Amino acid sequence: MKKVPLIMAVLTVAVMALFPLLRPEVYYLSFLFTLFMYVVLSSSWNVIGGYAGYLSFGHAAFFGIGAFATAKMATAFSLSPLLTILSSIPAGLLAALVALIVGYPCLRIRGPYFSVVTICFAFVVDLAVKNIEELGGAEGLWMTFMDLPEETSRAIMYEVMLLLMVVTLATVYLLGRSRFGRGLTAVRTDEEVAETMAIPTAKLKIQAFVVSAFFPGVAGGLFAYYLSYIHPDAVFSINISILIVLMAMFGGGGTWLGPIVGAVILTVVNEGLSTFAQAEIARIIYGALFIIVTIFMPDGIIAYFRRWATTQRKA
Amino acid sequence: MDPVLVIQSLISGVMMGMVYALLGVGFSLTWGVMHVIHISHAVFGLLGAYFAYTLLTLYGVDPVVSAMVSTPLLFIVACAVYQVLIRPLTKAREMVVASMILTFGLAIILENLLVLVWKADPRLLTPSYASESWIIGPFYLQYPHLIGFALSLVGISSLYVFLKKTTTGMAVRAAWQNQEAARLYGVNLFRISMITFALAVSTAGAGGISLALLYSFEPHSHNLWLIYLFLVVIVGGVGNVIGTALAGLIIGVITGLSMAFLPYQWVNLITFGLLMVFLIFRPHGLFGEVG
Repeated sequence: MKKVPLIMAVLTVAVMALFPLLRPEVYYLSFLFTLFMYVVLSSSWNVIGGYAGYLSFGHAAFFGIGAFATAKMATAFSLSPLLTILSSIPAGLLAALVALIVGYPCLRIRGPYFSVVTICFAFVVDLAVKNIEELGGAEGLWMTFMDLPEETSRAIMYEVMLLLMVVTLATVYLLGRSRFGRGLTAVRTDEEVAETMAIPTAKLKIQAFVVSAFFPGVAGGLFAYYLSYIHPDAVFSINISILIVLMAMFGGGGTWLGPIVGAVILTVVNEGLSTFAQAEIARIIYGALFIIVTIFMPDGIIAYFRRWATTQRKA
Repeated sequence: MDPVLVIQSLISGVMMGMVYALLGVGFSLTWGVMHVIHISHAVFGLLGAYFAYTLLTLYGVDPVVSAMVSTPLLFIVACAVYQVLIRPLTKAREMVVASMILTFGLAIILENLLVLVWKADPRLLTPSYASESWIIGPFYLQYPHLIGFALSLVGISSLYVFLKKTTTGMAVRAAWQNQEAARLYGVNLFRISMITFALAVSTAGAGGISLALLYSFEPHSHNLWLIYLFLVVIVGGVGNVIGTALAGLIIGVITGLSMAFLPYQWVNLITFGLLMVFLIFRPHGLFGEVG
C-alpha cells in the first residue's frame, strides 16, 4: 500500500476501535457487528469468487459450520466466554478442512456448474446438521452469553469482530498482490493458458477455496456466540450465500475494495429500508436497487467509478 | 417392499417429474441460448399459478383454460422485460453474473408484489374435479395430477416441435450451438433472444399452473422450485429440451420413491447428495449439451 492510503486505513480502524468509548447505543454496536461480519464474508468469498472467478454459492455452509462447531464446543465443555470466543478459530479451521475435502472434487468443475455444486453442498450440510441430534437437530443449540452489562458485552464482541475484519482484509490484500493472487487472476482470465504457463492451477484453486472458507467459519463462530442461540435456518440459508455473492459482485468482484463497498452499501440500505418502510415495499426497493445497478454498472460499482475517473482525466 | 406402493410412487414421481420438466425447459433454453441464468424464472411460474387461482376462485375458469390464456399474455410481458431489462446486459463483461444479479432483483420485486396482492398464505388450485381419481386396479390417479401431467406433456412437445420444425426454432438452436456463426448466417440475435426469453417465460407460466395442480403454493415457493429447476437442467444438459424432459422424469422418480420409503427429512438430503455426486462425475449432464 502506498503511504497515504495506509495511513488512512490505520486511522479508520483506530476510529472504529475507539467508537465504543463514546458509549453509543447498543443498536449501533449491533448494526456495526453485522456490517463487519458481512465485510468478512464477502471479502473472503472474493478470494475464490472474485480473484479466481469460481462463483461459490455455498459459502453459508462454511459460515454455518463455524457457528455450529463453536456452539457445540461451548456447550459440550461449558467454555468460559474468552475460550468460547477463541474456539471460533478451531471452528474456522474445521470449515477450512471441509473446504479442502469438498474443494478437491468440486473445483474441477467450471463455470455455472461449479456454482450449482456449491448450492447443493450447502443444502447437504444444512440438511445433515438438521438430522444430527447432537447438534440440536431442527431445534438448534442454546449457549450462555457472558455475564456482563449489555453495553460492555456487546462492545467486546464488536471489537472482536472488528479485529477479525482487519485480519481478513489484510490477508486478502496481501494475497491479492502476491504471486498467489496473480496466479488466481490467471486462472480467472484463462485457465487453459495458465496451465500451459506451468501455473499449478489445481493447487492454487484449492488454497484459495480453503482461505475463503476459514474466515467465514470464524465469523460464524462469533455470530453464534453473539446470538447465543443457533439454528440451522439462521446460518445455512441460501439467502446468506446469495447475499455474500451479491455484495462482492455489486461492489466489484476481483478488486480488494469491491466487496467492502458492496457489503457496506447493501447492509446500510437493508437496515435503512427495514426501519423506514413497510417490509414488502422495502424488499421491492431493495430488488429495484439490484436492477438499476446492474443495468448502469454491469461490472460493479468500483469498475464504473474507475472508468469514470479515467474519462475525467482524459477530458 | 410392497409392489403396489412402489408402482404408485413411481406413477406420482413420473407426474411430478414431467411438471418440473415443463418448468425447467425454459430455464434451460435461456441459459443455453442467451447465457442468462434467469433467477426469476420460477416467479413467473408462480405468476401463472396465481393467475389461474384468481380466475378459478372468481369466475370458476378451469386451470387448463387459464394456462392457454396466460401463455400469450406472459409472452408479451416477457418481450417487454427482455427489451427493458435483459437486453442492456449484453454490454456487461460477465453476462452470466450480471444476469443473475439483475434477475435476482426482479425475483425479489415480483415475490413481494405477490405478497402484497395475494398475501403470504398458501393457496391451492381446487377445480371441481379436485378430489376425484381415476382408479385402475389398486392404483389411484388423481385428476388434477393427470391434468397437470398432460398439460406439461403438451407444453414440452409443442416447444420441441417448434424448435425442430420452424425456421425461427432452428435459428434458436443455431444461436445455442454457436452465437457467432449464427450471426454470420444472418440470425438476428436480439430477436432470437427475445423470442427465446418470451417462450421460456410463457412455458414457466404453464408449468407453474401444472405444479399448482399438484402442490399448494405461496409467494416464497419459487425458491424451492428454482432449486429443482437447477437440478433438472443440470442433469438434462443445459439447453437440451429432450434431456430436460428425461431428467425431470428421473428426478421425479427418485424423489417419488424416496418419499415413499424414507423419512421425510432425508428425502432432500438424498436428492441433493445425489446431484452433487452426479455433477462431480458428469458436469455436462447425462445427455450432453448437444441434442
